[in-house]
Amino acid sequence: MSDQLTLSAETRDRGGKGASRHLRREGRIPAVIYGDKKDPISIHLAERDLMKALHTGHFMNSVVMIDGIDGSIRTLPKDVQLHPVTDRPLHVDFLRIGEHSTVHVNVPLRFENEEASPGIKRGGVLSVVRHEVELVVDAAEIPDEIAVDLTGFEVGDSIHISAVTLPKGAHWAIEDRDFTIATITAPSALKSAEGEAEGDETPAA
Amino acid sequence: MLQPKRTKFRKAFKGRIHGDAKSGTLLNQGSYGLKAMEPDRITARQIEAARRAITRHIKRQGRLHIRIFPDVPVSSKPAEVRMGSGKGSPEFWAARVKPGRIIFELEGVAGPLAAEAFSRAAEKLPIKTKVVARLGDFSHLISEV
Repeated sequence: MSDQLTLSAETRDRGGKGASRHLRREGRIPAVIYGDKKDPISIHLAERDLMKALHTGHFMNSVVMIDGIDGSIRTLPKDVQLHPVTDRPLHVDFLRIGEHSTVHVNVPLRFENEEASPGIKRGGVLSVVRHEVELVVDAAEIPDEIAVDLTGFEVGDSIHISAVTLPKGAHWAIEDRDFTIATITAPSALKSAEGEAEGDETPAA
Repeated sequence: MLQPKRTKFRKAFKGRIHGDAKSGTLLNQGSYGLKAMEPDRITARQIEAARRAITRHIKRQGRLHIRIFPDVPVSSKPAEVRMGSGKGSPEFWAARVKPGRIIFELEGVAGPLAAEAFSRAAEKLPIKTKVVARLGDFSHLISEV
């Protein structure tokens, strides 16, 4: 289960780009909390704390407690807007959730046991189709990441979602098909080596 | 070298590159990317030189994605020709790149190797760039042993 992150925030009374830019100049990031059939609250957070949380690598699939506004609000980050050049956060959306509400959340995949895959050992490239998968899970049970075991996969094999162990009490958001999460493809070096081998065989035949 | 298969018009206006990139600013397929920090036209030759620098450094492992395409024909007049008499003939193709645009993406390689490959590619480009990774991944900041 992912750690619970805590961020302290203050409410902001002025919206719009002028007020938001003023906040950003002072090292604060504008954000909003919405959902749970309550009115949205405009807030701002310390950029330093937010960057720290973002760099944990599992910010988007962690429950974030927002302190400082009517006590503590349990939320799930839904979106982080980043500056295209500087990659500084510009704005964050938080979804207000209950303690045991069921949420849709994107969880990153971690590919392990690469050395046990004969395809990757031969020089195959793990081509990741989905870096994260959408999971429907209890808010208290959101996993940090989902491990994908690469043992036994050869060059040309596709790894489908059915090969991944589902975390307890969760189910995939896409259930109508067995979608691909990664493939092991031949690198250009391996392809050209095979091509040369075939080329050598042709004149002999 | 990259160039369009067919075009509607032979010659294009020079234009100016204003503002930051609106799309193509986030990693899509790969784990590491090379991001433009300045606006400029990048020629097909420069893209090809950078691509070669990357593929040679990673020893043709991994997979490289090129996220820009040179679709602007750049014309020039021959040497020692007086001004006037119309626009010159198209000489090469270029991509207009705005700051924030991801130029290359790499997948299937380790962070330090990708960072070194991108720094070699950056030498071939006319603009300042930076290496980017997915949130929470700092392996590209470790120098290669």
